[in-house]
Amino acid sequence: MSITIYPLASLSQIEKTPSREDGIPPELEEDLRAYGCKLIHEAGILLKQKQVAVATAQILFHRFWYVTSMKQFGIGDIGMGALYLASKLEECPIRMRELINVYDLLLQRASHTTGSTSSAQQYSDFKYVPMSYFGSTFYDLKDALVVAEMQILKRLGFNVHVVLPYGTLVNYLRVLGLTSREDVCTRAWGYLNDALQTPVYALYPVPTIVSAAIMLTTRHLGISLPSSPENRWWELFDAEWEDVWSVCGYIMRLYRERDAEDQKRLWGTAETLNARGRTAADI
Amino acid sequence: MSTSTPTTPTKKRSRWDAEDDDDEPPVQASSKRRAKSKQAKSETPPVQTPASTSTPPPVRPEPIRPTHSVYVPPRTLHPALTPSRSVYCYERLNAIEEGSYGVVFRARDKQTGEIVALKKLKLDEEKHGFPITALREINALMTCKHENVVNIREVVVGDTLTQVFIVMDFIEHDLKTLLTVMPSPFLQSEIKTLMLQLLSAVAHCHERWILHRDLKTSNLLMNNRGTIKVADFGLARRYGDPIGVGGLTQLVVTLWYRAPEILLGAITYSTAVDMWSVGCIFAELILKEPLFQAKGEIELLSMIFKLLGPPTAASWPNFQTLPLAKTITLPPQQPPQLRQKFPYLTSAGLDLLSRLLTYDPENRISATEALQHPYFNESPYPKHPDLFGSFPSAAAGEKRRKPFDSPSAPVRAADHKLLTDFDDV
Ligand SMILES: Nc1ncnc2c1ncn2[C@@H]1O[C@H](COP(=O)(O)OP(=O)(O)OP(=O)(O)O)[C@@H](O)[C@H]1O
Ligand SMILES: [Mg+2]
Repeated sequence: MSITIYPLASLSQIEKTPSREDGIPPELEEDLRAYGCKLIHEAGILLKQKQVAVATAQILFHRFWYVTSMKQFGIGDIGMGALYLASKLEECPIRMRELINVYDLLLQRASHTTGSTSSAQQYSDFKYVPMSYFGSTFYDLKDALVVAEMQILKRLGFNVHVVLPYGTLVNYLRVLGLTSREDVCTRAWGYLNDALQTPVYALYPVPTIVSAAIMLTTRHLGISLPSSPENRWWELFDAEWEDVWSVCGYIMRLYRERDAEDQKRLWGTAETLNARGRTAADI
Repeated sequence: MSTSTPTTPTKKRSRWDAEDDDDEPPVQASSKRRAKSKQAKSETPPVQTPASTSTPPPVRPEPIRPTHSVYVPPRTLHPALTPSRSVYCYERLNAIEEGSYGVVFRARDKQTGEIVALKKLKLDEEKHGFPITALREINALMTCKHENVVNIREVVVGDTLTQVFIVMDFIEHDLKTLLTVMPSPFLQSEIKTLMLQLLSAVAHCHERWILHRDLKTSNLLMNNRGTIKVADFGLARRYGDPIGVGGLTQLVVTLWYRAPEILLGAITYSTAVDMWSVGCIFAELILKEPLFQAKGEIELLSMIFKLLGPPTAASWPNFQTLPLAKTITLPPQQPPQLRQKFPYLTSAGLDLLSRLLTYDPENRISATEALQHPYFNESPYPKHPDLFGSFPSAAAGEKRRKPFDSPSAPVRAADHKLLTDFDDV
């Protein structure tokens, strides 16, 4: 089959992300990326959008923040634009109005959560107020969406080609003789999906990421694969140890415990940045 | 769009400039980057490593570079994320042609002096953001890079959100104009070369799941070194994708080159539609004029029936299942007139042509198969591209063109209907 070369962030882009250059701490950027991806994921579910479009959107979203500061655009707007664009790229376009309504709901819910104290309270008394059909919110969001889609295209140089990892996973598991282990397939598949919340798809080639998912899975399930110096299974897939290891680190960091305070602070920041981004884009 | 122009220019420009400054020859750059890569990573180890993976990496001797599979390009081969440059990086020369969809200009890269072609995409009055058809065109060009596909260099932007330009290598001629200005037709040896080039480009696109859907001589460019470049992916689309409620649109492929299954309303069609067009192009190269110069779909069908004989249950088993099959009355059976139309073509040549112009799309020859056809292995052999003569380039304004009128590609806007009925806001 064909080799297709997709873009990856360069080293200087990784070392100095525009947000970091703008004074946003790296951990906060990482959290905001993950949060933006969760919103894309939730919007995808509410819209019954295909997983391929959602995954593509998340990867474009991550690429975007290697060329743009989070102070310039909001993660909500860019997430919405990425999902809109990815849906076209995957030939399953969505309606602007539905996408906007869904994002409006998700953001309202998030700001509700930020305001309340206990998590039990969070969901119980949340009431979604649908926006008025003729109100300005809709038009504001619509403008933001159109601008976001175009900015993603422009800043990525219109190179929005994305390669998803699932086919590669199936191939590799076959090579390793693991296809019959359902637990392996499910868990590795899960890691690949979770990894969409991290920037790895904008940083490493697919074989490396798939190797990392297999690495985490086999270690977790106590399956041993050849890893003696002269026979390392990941080299079969042209992955390098340091890279695989680094991807594992990104994925595992998703699972660390967060206290509620942390969460609230994050969502608060996301909101302020989003609002700020919107005004910056309007100038 | 009041929110358009904003923010970018200064910042983006400076980033672009900065990148240009430390440009290095690729070989050097890659080894350097690899070295830096290791270093950078060891500086930032994963903050928190999960218990299950916390065994330290096995100590190992100096790593032997794994021999890379061709399917896994090394990281350094992946391009960096690169924002679009401004169209002002180019100096506009002359307009080449206004197509149905965009204007094409000849332009000069201000930095390198290279001559390029800029195709401006029509983006105004878009209700659904960036048009899906333009996305397909850009993606197809980027995915299908090949010696015989026009090379896309980059996509640049103007001052507003509605100015987007595809930058391509400038190619001197298009085949349609060439055919009209050439004093005598191409030689068989030349036709073989051109067909091999066209077929390998089409095979390449099909391998990458891209249908061109608008192959015709005016979309085939040719340089002065006898090389064809397939251009205008404005109707291209990935196949094997979900096809939406209404199926694929029939509003594809300029009439004269349109396959019979599309004419008969098929809503699922595939690579075979491009192969039919290739057949029409093959015939046109021989005849020096388009094969089916019909004014409408009905006339086109009757011209096809006349040349090939009407379809039969044997030649096209699924004919009756096509949506429009019942609306037309087939003429009485009559023998095909292909041989009379092409009296000087060898029997191998005629065989290839009739396999391209096969009614049943299931039976129509594929590009990969056609490349192996005996026609290309018999004398006269394909001529080396370098031995092609050169012609004055109309596109460069070297000579006035007088193209004969041919219908143009269906209006792309119609493709939007595919997106189902959208919000009307
Ligand atoms: N890279 C190029 N170099 C030179 N000329 C080009 C190039 N690309 C396009 N052209 C010229 O511009 C014309 C129109 O380009 P193209 O077919 O891509 O646009 P279009 O608007 O989609 O066309 P159509 O008329 O088929 O709808 C071509 O027929 C060719 O003459
Ligand atoms: Mg054209």
